[in-house]
Amino acid sequence: MTDTTPRGLTRRRFVASTLGSAAALSAVPAWAQAKTLNILSHAVHERVLGKDDGDLLRDWKAANGVELVFTTFDSNPLQDRLFREASLPVTDFAVGYIIDNRPTSAIAALFEPLGPLNAVAPIEDFADIAPGLIQGLTVDGNLIGIPVRHATGGLFYNEALLEEAGIAAPPTTLEELIEQAKKLTFTAKDGTPVTGMIMASDLAVFPVSFARAFGGDYITKDFKLLPKPEAMVKALAALNDMFTAGALPRSYATTKNDDQVTWMQQGRAAFTMITFARYAQFNNPEQSRFPGRIKAVQFPKSATYDGPMAAVTEAWGMVIPRNAADKDLAWAYIREVASRRVTLGMARNGNGPVRVSTYAEPAFAAASPVAGEEAKALATARGAFPPFPEAARAQQLFLEDVQLAVLGHKSPEAAVESMVSRITPLRPA
Amino acid sequence: MPNRRPRDLLPLVAPVHVLILGVIVLPSVYVLWLSLTASSFGKAPVFVWLDNYARILADPAFRSALWNTIVIVVAAVHVELLLGLLLALLFASGLPLRRLLLVCTLAPYAVSEVVAVVAWRYLFDPDAGPVTQALHALGLPVLDWSFEPLHAMMLIALLTIWLHLPFTFVILYAARLAIPAELYEAAKIDGARPFQAFRRVTLPLLGPAIVVALLFRYIFAFRIFSEVWLLTGGGPARTTEVVAVYLYREAFSYNAFGTAAATAWIMVLASLVLALGYVALLRRQVDVDAH
Repeated sequence: MTDTTPRGLTRRRFVASTLGSAAALSAVPAWAQAKTLNILSHAVHERVLGKDDGDLLRDWKAANGVELVFTTFDSNPLQDRLFREASLPVTDFAVGYIIDNRPTSAIAALFEPLGPLNAVAPIEDFADIAPGLIQGLTVDGNLIGIPVRHATGGLFYNEALLEEAGIAAPPTTLEELIEQAKKLTFTAKDGTPVTGMIMASDLAVFPVSFARAFGGDYITKDFKLLPKPEAMVKALAALNDMFTAGALPRSYATTKNDDQVTWMQQGRAAFTMITFARYAQFNNPEQSRFPGRIKAVQFPKSATYDGPMAAVTEAWGMVIPRNAADKDLAWAYIREVASRRVTLGMARNGNGPVRVSTYAEPAFAAASPVAGEEAKALATARGAFPPFPEAARAQQLFLEDVQLAVLGHKSPEAAVESMVSRITPLRPA
Repeated sequence: MPNRRPRDLLPLVAPVHVLILGVIVLPSVYVLWLSLTASSFGKAPVFVWLDNYARILADPAFRSALWNTIVIVVAAVHVELLLGLLLALLFASGLPLRRLLLVCTLAPYAVSEVVAVVAWRYLFDPDAGPVTQALHALGLPVLDWSFEPLHAMMLIALLTIWLHLPFTFVILYAARLAIPAELYEAAKIDGARPFQAFRRVTLPLLGPAIVVALLFRYIFAFRIFSEVWLLTGGGPARTTEVVAVYLYREAFSYNAFGTAAATAWIMVLASLVLALGYVALLRRQVDVDAH
C-alpha cells in the first residue's frame, strides 16, 4: 500500500513544484520599478498628492524610476509607528511625517539633521516656507523636518442657518459668537434640531482658542503654564454657559473631530471650529446638505481683550529616520514635495500650504475661497502647546479638567487650580 | 505506543513547547523586565526596580480604572451567566423556530466589536439616536451616557453583555444537552417538581460548565477595551476608563513603556485574583472527577 496515487499530488511533487516555482520567479527580471521609496504618513498626505492624471509626482517618479509605497495611519498610531521604526537598528521607511508638537530632544535625535542635506541640494526658494513652521521643526538647533502641511483653525458657520435665524453676519467677537450660538440652538424649518456649536472634547485646541480669545493660553513656548489663569477661568465659564444653554451638544464629552464634520454637513450644528482645509469637505455637494453655504472666518477674540488673537495651528513635517537606508532618495522626494509647484498643487487638493507665496496664487484663491482668512489667521498662529516629554500626559490632565468644568461637575476656578497643581510637575525643569 | 519512555516522546511535543515559549513565556519575561525600567522612544531603558508599580498604584486614574473594570466585569459576567442559563434552559425545553432563534441568539458573536460599538453609539446617540428618541416618545428615562458616568457604565455593561452572551450560552447549552433525559424521567417518577429537578439535577450537572464559562469570561472581560475606547473613550473626564484603556494611554499616547508594562502585569494579577475562587472551584471539581 502506498500513500500516493500515480497522477495525484504527492508530498514530494508538492515540495518540488513549490521550489521550482520559487526558482523560476526569482530568475525573472524584476517586475517592479527599480527603486521603491517607503513612506509612513497619514492618508491625507498621500491623497493631496493626487493620483492618476492628477498625480503631482508623476513626472518625478518617471524621471527617477521610483515607486512610492505609502503606509498610512491615523495621527497618533502614525507617530507611534514612526518613532518605533526610527528606534530599530534599520528601517525600510525612508520618509516619515511628523507632527510639530511631538519632537522632544530624545525623539528628534532619531531623525537625520536636514540642514547639511539642504546645504548640498537645497529646496527651491527655502525662504518662502513660513519661518514659524521651520522653527517648530528645529530642535536643539537641528532642522529635523521640512514643513509640508499646516492645519490652522478657523470658525466655520452655516450661512443658511444664520439667515434662517435672522442673523445677518457671522460674529466678530467671542461674546457675539456665544450669543449667536444660543440663538441658533433651535429647530430648523425642515425639522432638524440644530445645536449652536459643536467641538470635539478630546483635543486641547478648543479650550486653548477660547483662552486665547481672552488673552490667555495653556502652555507657552517657554513652558509657562496658564500665563493668565483668569483668562482660562473666563474661557471655561463661557464654555460651561454654552453647554448649560444647550448651545453645545449634550454629547459634548464624547464628541470627536469626525462628528464636527458630519454635524456641519447635515445642518445639525451652526458653528464649529476646525482647520480651514476642511472647507472643501464641508461644501462638497456629494456629502453636504449645504454646499457653498458653509463659510469660515478667523476665530474671534473677546471684546474685553484688545491684544492680538493667535489661532491654533499644527504643522506636519517630512523627516528621514537616521536608520533609513536610502537617504539621498528620501531627500530627493522631500525636495520635490516641498517645491513651489507641488505645494500649490497640494493646496488646491485641500492641503494647508506651508509657502507664503501660495496664498498669492490666483489658482489657489479660486480653489479655496477661505484662503484669505486662512492667511490672516496663519500670520499670528502658533501651536496649542510646545513639545516636551510629558506633553501628552499633560494634555490629558488638562482636558480632564476642561471637561469637568464644561459639564458643570467642577467650577472653572477649581478646574484651573487643579490644572496648575497637576500639570506643573510635568513641565520640563 | 506501549512502553515508550517520556524522553522518546519529547520530539513529538517539542513544537508546542517551542510555540508556547516563543509567543507566551519569552514575551512575558520581556514585559516583566520592561516593567522594571523607565523606557520611551529615543531613550535607553533605565532600571528603576519597582518604581513603575508604585507610581501606578498611587495614581488615582489607575485606581479609578481598576474599580471601573471590576464593576463592569463582575456585573456583566454574572448577568451574562444568568441570561445564558435562562436561554439554555429555554432552548433545551423545546422552542418553535429553534434554529432561527438560535441564529438570532448567536448573531452578536459574529459581529465585529468595532461595528457593534459604532452601531450602539448611533442607536443611543443622546441627541438623535433612534433608541433615545423612542424612549423619549414613550415618556421613559433615557441613558444620558455622554454626561452621566453611571449611565455610561451601564451602557458599556449592556453592550458587553450583548456581545458576549453567546459565548456563555453556547457552553451552557451544550452542557445542558449532554445531561441524559433519563435523569429527568427518574426525577419525575420520584415526584420532583420542575424547580426541584432544576436544583437537584440540572444545576449540579451544569456546575463544571458554569465554572468554566465564568472563568473564561472573567479573564476575557478583564481585558475589556474596544467597547469603552470606541464608545466613551474613557470619558466624560476619564470617569469610565478601564485598565486596558489606561494601559493603552501609557503605551501609545504617553510612550511610557515601563509603566505600560507594569500595568499589564497588574492586570494579569488582578484578573487572576478576581477569578481565584472559581479556579479553586474548578480544581476541586477536577480532583473529584479524578477520584
